[in-house]
Amino acid sequence: MAETRSYDEALKAAFPSIVQDDAALGEFSHFLVPKDLLPAITHYLHTQPSLHGRLTLVWAVDDRPVCDTYGLHYLFTLEPSSRWVLLSTELAGDDRLFPSITPHIHAAKWYEREIRDMFGLIPQGHPDLRRLIRHEHWPKGAHPLKKDFPWDRVLGRQQGEHHFRHIEGEGVFEVPVGPIHAGIIESGHFRFSVAGEPIMQLELHHFWKHRGVEKLFEQQKLTTAVPLAERVSGDTTVGHSLAYCQAVESLFHLKVPRRGRYLRSLFLELERLHNHLGDVGAICNDTAYALPHAHCGRMKEQIMQLNDRLTGSRFLRGVNRMGGVAVDLTAGQLAEIVAELDRIEKDFSELESIIASNASLIDRLETTGVLTERTAWDHAVVGVVGRASGLDQDLRRDRPFAAYDELQVRVVTYRYGDVRARMRVRMDEIHESMRLVREVSVKIPQGPVAVEPGRGPQAGEWALSAVEGWRGEIVYMVMAGESGKIHRCKVRDPSFVNWPAIQWAVLGNIIPDFPLINKSFSLSYAGNDL
Amino acid sequence: MFRILKKSLKTGVVTGQHPEAAPTVEASTSAAKDKAKLFRSSLAFRAVDTGSCNACEMEMNALANPVYDIERFGVHIAASPRHADALVVTGPVTVNMEGALKDVYEQTPDPKIVIALGDCAINCGMFKGSYAVTGPVERHIPVDVRIPGCPPRPAEILKALSELREPKP
Repeated sequence: MAETRSYDEALKAAFPSIVQDDAALGEFSHFLVPKDLLPAITHYLHTQPSLHGRLTLVWAVDDRPVCDTYGLHYLFTLEPSSRWVLLSTELAGDDRLFPSITPHIHAAKWYEREIRDMFGLIPQGHPDLRRLIRHEHWPKGAHPLKKDFPWDRVLGRQQGEHHFRHIEGEGVFEVPVGPIHAGIIESGHFRFSVAGEPIMQLELHHFWKHRGVEKLFEQQKLTTAVPLAERVSGDTTVGHSLAYCQAVESLFHLKVPRRGRYLRSLFLELERLHNHLGDVGAICNDTAYALPHAHCGRMKEQIMQLNDRLTGSRFLRGVNRMGGVAVDLTAGQLAEIVAELDRIEKDFSELESIIASNASLIDRLETTGVLTERTAWDHAVVGVVGRASGLDQDLRRDRPFAAYDELQVRVVTYRYGDVRARMRVRMDEIHESMRLVREVSVKIPQGPVAVEPGRGPQAGEWALSAVEGWRGEIVYMVMAGESGKIHRCKVRDPSFVNWPAIQWAVLGNIIPDFPLINKSFSLSYAGNDL
Repeated sequence: MFRILKKSLKTGVVTGQHPEAAPTVEASTSAAKDKAKLFRSSLAFRAVDTGSCNACEMEMNALANPVYDIERFGVHIAASPRHADALVVTGPVTVNMEGALKDVYEQTPDPKIVIALGDCAINCGMFKGSYAVTGPVERHIPVDVRIPGCPPRPAEILKALSELREPKP
């Protein structure tokens, strides 16, 4: 706590005109900042060696129905202590301009374009103001997250074409890929500029799958939106529903019983396991090494069938609920999980030694798609991809949630940032997850698994929550509205921050390695597009 | 090499080791079955994601794993719609994907079957009514087969596909 105060005091000493909001004290530091100071103060937070702030989330709220302002919020994680610092500013009246922080903090680039698209607020000085989520055929002036934009009127169409950045010169070609791909993959567009085989530039053009998830949240009640959170990104059902539930639980001041928290950790690890197993196999498959793919597919299937037997859903849907979990496990079921995982761990270890002894595979993976630690830091990359580039961060250890305050998580990091490092992070995390499940099965206490919600929050109250899903850090901001409805729900899947980084990881690699690099990032299109 | 052989022998055959699909409503109409006559011994499908949450994609990928091994029924996944006999569409159709879906439908040679996979493709599921969702798949292209579920289990998808292609009794 004393340490925290010193961060806060340092910030206030450097910027005397900012005001600390004490209401949030304890959970994080909250400062009200005049908008003109934003670039300077965010730059200070980001670059000051003792603070080392990583941009974690930027969101806007349309508060006009209540107080005629737009709120802008910038959340930083101070790396040394994992402390959150939140900066808030307001745009009053007709003011629609705010200073861009992107020239100083690269990681803000997509967030600011998102705010521009969804709210019509303009980040002044932003180096790239092309449309991001609004494809060019969206009509002018359609900013869906403004409160006066009807949620249920389907968008009209206008003429328009997306302008890609071009590299011109002799022998430079552009290769368009997508939105529909050759495998069973989600929809997204990639535009490569190549000279011969090596990639000179990759530009992403995503958001084809934009379903208006954040606006749909605003039509729901706080207590009923869990199924929607589960469907933000289907492969991260538990991660997203847990992050949503935690945010709502802090609004309702609910304390989840210990057994409920242990079960949440267990289900989160099961989700991590089946996804990591699938990814290890798929990475091998993208080098045309089909054998590990077949074995991993089989093991992944075993875990999904286990999920189905335990909860009635292969994706663990309906497991998380407000106040705890909806499914309790018997001692017999816990023993079944441990026995099944013991079998799979032995199975997987044998496969690992087969993979490790395949020289041509390792040769293909090493030095492919290198994401340097510096680039990863600049883009505030999270999760598996960050840990493979040497960023030692894992919310399970750094900001414990569920039962992780009582479980010792060993964080896996590698330094090289290539495809092999990302695969090895996953392999090591598979073993770690299995160990955690065993630890849960030993330590899990008896008792209730959920509590019932009491009185709801006042309109305007809001809460933040973060979960280390299998891809990385999932962050939710939920703000209560009138009569139990949601006023605003900001969803951030790890994919949203990791996608831009892939544009740097592929440079100098050949196009045939792109699917491999893409698979090693294994990002969600649905969670990104929302 | 020895290690690989040992692993394969130890693992044995896992194909078919999955729970039976629950009896569901008939996914395909008799008109669709007539259309599918041509594809009884071989069916190439192209997956099109028009805005799903990616759970349906994951289950479709599971169809290719050794447990379900869909290729043993002569079903394979085509890399291009021009090589496909059927389109499998997942997700509600978003405003951004509407054009791409129609393009793909045009590019697929006749005769073709369109399979709407999952609740979202059939009725938009949780995303119904959103400003960014133009409607279910059948609003844009004719749909022959509907496989419900959120997402349907791989065994259910297999069952629906084999019912579609089985000879009439």
